[in-house]
Amino acid sequence: MEASPSLPLDGVRVLEIGGGIPAAFAARWLAGFGADVVRVEPDAESLSPDEAVYLLPGKRRVRAAPAELAALARSADIIIEDGPPGALTARGLDPAALRAERPALVVVSITPYGQDGPYAAFPATNITAFAMGGIMSLTGMHQREPLVTGGSQALYLGGLDAAGAAVTAYLGALVHGEGDWVDISLQESMAGMLELYGPRGAYEGAVSIRSGNHVRAVWGLYPCADGYAGVCALERQVPALFALIGDPELDEPRFRDPLQRPNHDDELQAKLYAWFGERTKAELLELGARHRVPIGAVVTPLELLDNQTLLERGFFDSVDAPAGQARIPGRPFLGLGWRPGALAEPVPAAHILAEWSPSR
Amino acid sequence: MEPVAMKRLPLEGIRVADLTMMWAGPYATRILAEMGAEVIKIESPRAWDNIRTLIPLPGVEEPWNASYYFNDYNRDKKSLTLDLAHPLGRETFLRLVPHCDVVIENYRADVLENLRLGYDVLRQARPDIILVSMAGYGKTGAERSHVGFGPIIEQMSGLASMTGYGDDGVPFKTGISYGDPVAGKAAAAAVALALIARRRTGRGACIDLAQREVLSSLIGEAFVAASLRGERPVHRGNRDPRWFAQGVYRCAGEEQWLAVTFRTRGEWARAAALLGIDPALPGGPGDHDVIDARMSAALAARDPQKTFELLAGAGIPAGRVLDTVTIHEDPHLAARRFWVELPHPRMHPWKQPRTAWRLREADPWPRRHAPLFGEHNDEILRGLLGLSAEQVEELRREGVIGDAPVNPGVG
Repeated sequence: MEASPSLPLDGVRVLEIGGGIPAAFAARWLAGFGADVVRVEPDAESLSPDEAVYLLPGKRRVRAAPAELAALARSADIIIEDGPPGALTARGLDPAALRAERPALVVVSITPYGQDGPYAAFPATNITAFAMGGIMSLTGMHQREPLVTGGSQALYLGGLDAAGAAVTAYLGALVHGEGDWVDISLQESMAGMLELYGPRGAYEGAVSIRSGNHVRAVWGLYPCADGYAGVCALERQVPALFALIGDPELDEPRFRDPLQRPNHDDELQAKLYAWFGERTKAELLELGARHRVPIGAVVTPLELLDNQTLLERGFFDSVDAPAGQARIPGRPFLGLGWRPGALAEPVPAAHILAEWSPSR
Repeated sequence: MEPVAMKRLPLEGIRVADLTMMWAGPYATRILAEMGAEVIKIESPRAWDNIRTLIPLPGVEEPWNASYYFNDYNRDKKSLTLDLAHPLGRETFLRLVPHCDVVIENYRADVLENLRLGYDVLRQARPDIILVSMAGYGKTGAERSHVGFGPIIEQMSGLASMTGYGDDGVPFKTGISYGDPVAGKAAAAAVALALIARRRTGRGACIDLAQREVLSSLIGEAFVAASLRGERPVHRGNRDPRWFAQGVYRCAGEEQWLAVTFRTRGEWARAAALLGIDPALPGGPGDHDVIDARMSAALAARDPQKTFELLAGAGIPAGRVLDTVTIHEDPHLAARRFWVELPHPRMHPWKQPRTAWRLREADPWPRRHAPLFGEHNDEILRGLLGLSAEQVEELRREGVIGDAPVNPGVG
């Protein structure tokens, strides 16, 4: 492997407008991979201080008057925005008009429901977007209300899709000469990732309902001696799991036979509760690795900051923040150049325009 | 009806050798295919993609060709069978590599090297090859040999520790193998970035993507809180301290729910007026419980779709908890042409999701059903690689290629 690969997006001009989690997250990856990201500071900051420490390093932040914003937009290679449909046009930056002027430009718009359709004007928050994306119907206990997944996943998923679509469309512009206007809908980001439950609902018309922490006994999350741990065994891994548990009853056909096993799931689950309950997370992870059984443990970000693998792989970036030095997730994968970047104060747009204006 | 392509797709002209299986990898390569790449899915007759037979449809012939699970994730790809553990299979694969821009795999960290097909070997076959590996924990580090699927990745990334109702201390997994599609989206992005880098430098890349690390990237602010203040996640159920109030409430019908956020007290008052609820609150920390109780009472007999449209139409964030059937009937997704039905030789058509990367002008569109097992063997072996009929027959005789899995039924 090359020692220090060059930055793949070195010199690529990215303008981030709106700057909520979706646009800010997408642009953070682009900044890390070398793009010159200029973030137009929103009138009202929608990021929490912690989110800002994570999402703003490596970006230049500007305050821009409307005419300055227009000049920046005319010099950018990629514009990423997460305002409601029409917001860009209202600021004099109609994506279609910008694209007509410069066909290589890539514009990526992230909205709750996309640019058109009956819900296009509806507002959303993380939880309402998650609900409309379908995943939420599957999360939590059957006996209780559907549960939103932690953090701001709907917003990050939109940002993740926007980052991938932005670089793909930019590649298209390099190769074929034309960019595109990418229309990311948070709802579609999630509706396309329903695993087997999506096609099952579409093909069989059968509703899948949330199953708590146990899809099946051998596919579940259990309390253990010092927290929670989980197993997710395919059929070919079940014998190794049973060998670990070491209960002679598990040799009986009602547990061994994959067709009979679902009828005895409660009994099997009780055995797993007992087995997990007696062991610590560290013991369980070690057993899983040694015997090739997919076992995991519920760890917190605080614990992960000391995770040996993540440290060896250089996963975290350090950022000097107002409240001290923060450690944040860095490059999403290895093999391409990445720069951690620092937090910067906003500057007047004129500073950037002096560099950007002699545009291509 | 397939629309006429107006302009070229970004990945047109890119060819991908796809060694991925299950979900994370096939999800990545389905995106690449929809963005225009030619994706050749490679499976061994002895070790095929497990999800072909994970959820078999009862009573069908060739169940490995008639799985909605497999077919949803592998459309727009070609199928080549090759046993890479057989010397002839390995040799044939290395003849294919020079014709490919990208090789992608999601094996356990050591498998590709064990097959003697690591990056250095691939690079001899094609110097600017892009290899994308997507092991659960990456190719290096103490945990590299751990076995992990999406739900395990979710626990090990920190995300599961952040999800819970809050009153029982229990962490929850999402309902899907969440780590998989997240890694798939990131891997597809990695391919585009590596192609941009190759265009600029002439060099390929060896991408080492750890599924766990990608997922941790989606909870970055929790790492800020942990590193600056030693904080651990607090389970908040469906509440969010950012907003005035928020919850998920049962509506009329079987398992019908509505999520509503009142970003401000003013939104609560407006919603209360629309729903005929008393907006007055006693004041204090119990206010949220009062709001939840009134909302639950007010929505219990209401239609979820109409109530969603009533509130959202008035500018109040609301979202129906669409289940795995109602989401396929959502009028908005229909208007957006999000679902596509493709003819399949063994199955009746069903609604499949388009990729969320909606390029409005190029309009990427799913074109063809997932390939039958080994469907493109001749096209690739004879057409692309120029093997003779005798050579293909030898591969068949040796069990390197095949039209059906050996010993099907073991998932």
